[in-house]
Amino acid sequence: MRRRILALLPWLALCAVPLLTNGYSQYIINLILVNVTVITGLNFLLGYAGQFSFSHAALMGIGAYTAALLSARVGISFWIGLPLAGVASAAIGLLAAISAMRLKRVYLALVTVAFAELLVWVLNNWRAVTLGTDGVNLPVPSLFGWDVDGDKRVFYVVLACTATMWWLARRILESHIGRAFIAIRENEILAQCNGINVPLTKSLVFAMSAFYAGIGGALFALVLGFIVPASFGLLTLVTQFSAVVLGGPLNLAGGAIGALLLTALPEVLRDFQGLQEVIYGVVLIVCVVVMPGGIAGLLQHLGVLPAEALARHWRRLPTPAAPPSAADGTP
Amino acid sequence: MTPATLIVAGLANGSIYALVALALVLIYKTQDVINFGQGEILMVGGFVGYSVLEYTHVPYPLALLAAVVAGGALGAAIERTALRRVAEQHHITLAMVTVGFSVLIKGVARLPFGSDIYTFPAVLSSAPVSIAGAEMSPQSLITVAVALVVALLLFLFFRLTPAGKQMQATQQNLTGARIVGINPGRVFSMTWALAAAIGALTGVLAAPLALLYPDMGSDFLLKGFAAAVLGGLESVPGAMVGGFIVGIIEMLFGGYISTSAQQISSFIVIIAVLLIRPYGLFGRRPVHRV
Repeated sequence: MRRRILALLPWLALCAVPLLTNGYSQYIINLILVNVTVITGLNFLLGYAGQFSFSHAALMGIGAYTAALLSARVGISFWIGLPLAGVASAAIGLLAAISAMRLKRVYLALVTVAFAELLVWVLNNWRAVTLGTDGVNLPVPSLFGWDVDGDKRVFYVVLACTATMWWLARRILESHIGRAFIAIRENEILAQCNGINVPLTKSLVFAMSAFYAGIGGALFALVLGFIVPASFGLLTLVTQFSAVVLGGPLNLAGGAIGALLLTALPEVLRDFQGLQEVIYGVVLIVCVVVMPGGIAGLLQHLGVLPAEALARHWRRLPTPAAPPSAADGTP
Repeated sequence: MTPATLIVAGLANGSIYALVALALVLIYKTQDVINFGQGEILMVGGFVGYSVLEYTHVPYPLALLAAVVAGGALGAAIERTALRRVAEQHHITLAMVTVGFSVLIKGVARLPFGSDIYTFPAVLSSAPVSIAGAEMSPQSLITVAVALVVALLLFLFFRLTPAGKQMQATQQNLTGARIVGINPGRVFSMTWALAAAIGALTGVLAAPLALLYPDMGSDFLLKGFAAAVLGGLESVPGAMVGGFIVGIIEMLFGGYISTSAQQISSFIVIIAVLLIRPYGLFGRRPVHRV
């Protein structure tokens, strides 16, 4: 119980952040929180379950467009559109995953590349519904008469959602489902032999990851107030990959660290796309080759960051019943 | 546009996709990883050829040679500096490294060239020739011819040279290759150099037909994916045939449906192949080994 209260403290401390910020820094902080949700979702897939998918940014776009279009063109409240955005992304993400699941694993990457391009193409070209490159304005949502306008008010909504999603992620990863993800990452056949339903678990991780992307996308629409298809392309995806790899795959805190470090970068280097790409490229290569645990792995190694709860439980097991290599957190 | 013209134009583009697919297949077979940087290697080839032609005014074959050498060196460098260190790790690690290089190369190209679009001069700018009632520019003709020659040379390389046989051995059985004294590191470097040299050559061929800009790679990569998937991902002739088919389908889509549908023809090919015949036209049904 005491640990749970302690775990709540950082989130409570975050509630005081708007006292210290101006409009722009508040906007950046909101974006960071949105990215924490999005990258947590990608971390499930890429870090924990070891599935290489290129559709995360596009699925985030599906979420953003679902929430924004429902609100702007159909008149459904954002508070209903937000969960619907997650569900829509999850459904579409599953579609891609299931079609690729029956095949050799390398096809998954290929299918998701094609799928992501196709989704962005639809957002650009299905003008009758998505308004194409003109973009969509999200009307200011209102909660029981409290208008969520201005970055500081948006912050509390985003904070509440991020905290919920974070809590949910922890619960899932500490359960047997989280272990099944890691087992699949390490060895699918071995996982199957241990009674894990591999296709079902893979579908689950795809749906969950896409759900996070969808919720993140809807929150992204809320923070920006205006979305265009170009926000969900290749560069966004590369940013997300870099955040996972830099922060530390196989670590929830790592995703948050990655989001924290890399969200501001596109803002600072807005006019220098080449430089941004060089940085992402170097981050991806260097982290993967030299520092596979990312920053979180490094901090854990130094003893600054406690090991993940998942790993703690595992170490307490009397016999090496669990896949042994998953416990040390390195791929 | 008559169907014959569309098909002939499709052959020219298709030979470029075939070469991209060929390079992808080479690397996939040796290292079991898709090279997501192949499109950017193509772009590098295009820009090296362009810069050499523009600033030194040497004859065209020399510019081509410079691009091929630069591409080969780039490929070997990618393998030696990064991939070799993670060669035995989780497949995600390898794929992530190639994604990293893809972004890095694109960024580096953007630093001097910006996001502008450059036009690459055609090798021969004479009047189009007529083949079987279809008009074809000499540039397209050269492209198709070069693609076929490259495929033939590759075939001979694998059949006749010791290096080619070592590569094949490593592709078939890494441990076995090690036992008989093949240095897999050298083979990996050679494969990457070869694939990247083909990539750079493709870039020089593609640049006059398409446009030259730092983002040009991803489009060719996707078409190359489609071609490789159609060919079964493990077969060199499959990649060639797949490339030509993807090129022709793309032109037919553009000619009979719409130009915006042309952009997604390759995705439709990928998805259709995976639904109907997932191991491709030339691939074998996969076997699961424990």
